[in-house]
Amino acid sequence: MAGPYAAAFAAAAGRVLRRPGELAVRLLFYAVILVVFAALWSAAAAATGGLVAGYSAAALLWYVTVAEAAVVATKPRLIEDIGVDIGTGAVATEMLRPVSVLWLRLASELGEAAVRLAMALAIGTAFTWAVGGAPPARAGALLALPSAVLAVAANLAAQHAFAGAAFWLSDAKATWFLYQKLVFLLGGMLLPLQLFPAWLERVAWVLPFWTMAYAPARLTAGSPPQPWLLAAQAAWLVVLAGAAAVVFAAGERHLEVAGG
Amino acid sequence: MTGMRALLGTMRTAVVEAWSNRRSFWVQASAMILNDAAWVAFWGLFFHKIGQVRGWRSDQVMLMFAILATVTGISMGLLSNARKLGQLVADGQLDAVLTLPVDPLAYLLVRRVDTALLGDLAFGPVLFAVAAHPTPQRTVLYVLGALTGSAVFVSFVVMLGSVTMVAGGRGEQADLGFQALLILASYPLDVFGGLTKLMMFTVIPAAFLTGVPVHLVDHFRWATLAAMLGVAVGSMLLAGVVFRAGLRRYRSGALWTRA
Repeated sequence: MAGPYAAAFAAAAGRVLRRPGELAVRLLFYAVILVVFAALWSAAAAATGGLVAGYSAAALLWYVTVAEAAVVATKPRLIEDIGVDIGTGAVATEMLRPVSVLWLRLASELGEAAVRLAMALAIGTAFTWAVGGAPPARAGALLALPSAVLAVAANLAAQHAFAGAAFWLSDAKATWFLYQKLVFLLGGMLLPLQLFPAWLERVAWVLPFWTMAYAPARLTAGSPPQPWLLAAQAAWLVVLAGAAAVVFAAGERHLEVAGG
Repeated sequence: MTGMRALLGTMRTAVVEAWSNRRSFWVQASAMILNDAAWVAFWGLFFHKIGQVRGWRSDQVMLMFAILATVTGISMGLLSNARKLGQLVADGQLDAVLTLPVDPLAYLLVRRVDTALLGDLAFGPVLFAVAAHPTPQRTVLYVLGALTGSAVFVSFVVMLGSVTMVAGGRGEQADLGFQALLILASYPLDVFGGLTKLMMFTVIPAAFLTGVPVHLVDHFRWATLAAMLGVAVGSMLLAGVVFRAGLRRYRSGALWTRA
């Protein structure tokens, strides 16, 4: 039964590789972000005597490199795309196939994201190694790779759960940039959770967004190593994928009853 | 004069189109305002922990963000086709526009409004009023800075989009330029050094979107104002020249669509 999903994964990965222009634009965008953050965090570390919340300038650059790579691997407007597909009835056509709409979509998105993640991490590692030296947490950095994959998977599952609101709300697609900012801020993509005030850090830990950017970044840049982050990410992935499955099942029933 | 009346009428139609679906209008504009608030929160958290960065304080970054939101609201909200020029060319939508008795570039620019980015246009002035110590002089300079920044922003993406008429594609270079300009303009100018800063005053003119206007509002000098106006007028003229040069090389997409 994994056949169609594996095929969707492979086809999507191939699709990204066959569109080198689009991939190059995405990776150049990522490179610009790295240049900006290298400048910002080295200025910030200099302003605070070398360390910001326990991170050196080099550690912060590694942090941003991995956090951004995990986020840039997913489509920024995926929620909008799913909303449009639901709104236009494209999903209703997908429901005719003898496979799950949600899992097929997730497999396809994972295939695309895997290629982008690999490319971004390769470019980001080369850039940051050249600018800031080796990753400060070498043992943890090895765990960052599976953690980044889990981060992307959790992000995709959450976006499908979030976008599923479009089965009932016609304007849900406009909320993609709100979701994106939750990942940017509460997910720790822009700055490590340790920089938050205590109350906000507690809020961030309760929500799932830290699994999508903070976890792999912390494993690469933070000390001491925290391998339990991987297990917590896996647990959140199960919850988010379950939520997406529930939302899509209810949404598909709604379409069958009320029409698309 | 007739041309100007036609353009104003076109712009009014674009605004009415955006306004016609009220619920969608408010959802999108509100979502963008919340999005902007998230950035303000980021800078609040950053400066709470760091203090000052290379002479930039929290209130100066709020001024920077107020100008950036206003610039984005004007240039990409009210003139939303500016960044879509490459796609319009690729989709053949330019053909129908060329038959109209108005300047094609001006018409394209005013033809569509991006509802979500109108949220930026509302957020920028409010943030300026709340967090950027408004005085009559600072307000006039803020408005001038936002207008000149918008002129530079629109001109830059129009120039990049015009390349599509010669090189083909769907305006990917304009998209990348747009993103690069927006990212670089979103951070205090003085955190960048050397080559990046030089780039921000030349090939990717992000400094003229926020850095220079912030400097003008905080430390007014006639020379800075003159330079900013000069860059704005110069970039608009250059964008017009590049667009017309592209038009001379443009071959119809042989697609007939509504203008």
